[in-house]
Amino acid sequence: MNELYSGLITGVIFGFLLQKGQVLRYDKQVGAMRLLDMTIMKFMLSAILVAMIGLYALHANGLIKFSIKETILGANVIGGLLFGIGWAVVGYCPGTAVGALAEGRWDALFGLAGMLLGAALFAEAYPLVKATILTWGNYGKITIPTALGVNPWPVIAVLAALFLGLFGFFEKKGL
Amino acid sequence: MKVMTRKGWSPYIAGALAGVLLVMSVFLTGKYFGASTTFVRTAGMIEQVVLPEHAAGQEYYKKEKIRIEWQWMFVAGIFFGALAAAVFTNDFRSTPVPPMWEARFGPSRAKRWVAAFLGGIVLMFGARMADG
Repeated sequence: MNELYSGLITGVIFGFLLQKGQVLRYDKQVGAMRLLDMTIMKFMLSAILVAMIGLYALHANGLIKFSIKETILGANVIGGLLFGIGWAVVGYCPGTAVGALAEGRWDALFGLAGMLLGAALFAEAYPLVKATILTWGNYGKITIPTALGVNPWPVIAVLAALFLGLFGFFEKKGL
Repeated sequence: MKVMTRKGWSPYIAGALAGVLLVMSVFLTGKYFGASTTFVRTAGMIEQVVLPEHAAGQEYYKKEKIRIEWQWMFVAGIFFGALAAAVFTNDFRSTPVPPMWEARFGPSRAKRWVAAFLGGIVLMFGARMADG
């Protein structure tokens, strides 16, 4: 199938699930940052739980390839901090901003415009960032199991137990 | 198909289905989900129209390749999927200012929209720096 059609169909289903999961909301996203409402954590950790098991099972049988990004401490820490500051103000991440607009949340349109400008500004800054921040602490394409030098399944088991424990905690506290 | 029109599924169920969707996507087409590179490509397309010579010289646009590909259509699809779900469920509401924002910062649309715009700039600059 043409990759444009498969991308569109996958996006439509994903957008449908985001809306049904009620995560396309400023109140849910900022609510998670304020530790008041863990809806988006439930959605994300459930997705990660299923996907990490499914993808590692397929990978173990040679059926898929991983797409691992480089771990660069400077870029991940500074970029992550900037992302977090911006996310707390705009209240939508890039994908959910698109979905939030589709739900009638007009503020997401201004968030999206800002994100486009932010991308253009990063393109301006890229030569400088590449020569500095993107060289600080590059560990290459590592994963938690490869960094620890262990089989992935114990790591998956520990993470799964952690996620399920968190789910229990969220439900107990009514988050 | 009552479940399709029911407002709000459990976030555990919706999230787990999103996980299944990702596994299927990788298995069938080798594609992992992402969104922020699409903003670079779209910004590049706009820049190619308004500042074509400047855009042509940008190393980052050459690296990320300004074109409509799988992820661009994925992000466009999110819009239509969320719209379909909101319409089916009668969940589409014109909401210019989020309730939690209004409770803290008041009902001014201009204030909220300027903040969303500025927040968006910082968010995307950070996202692209961290590469994801």
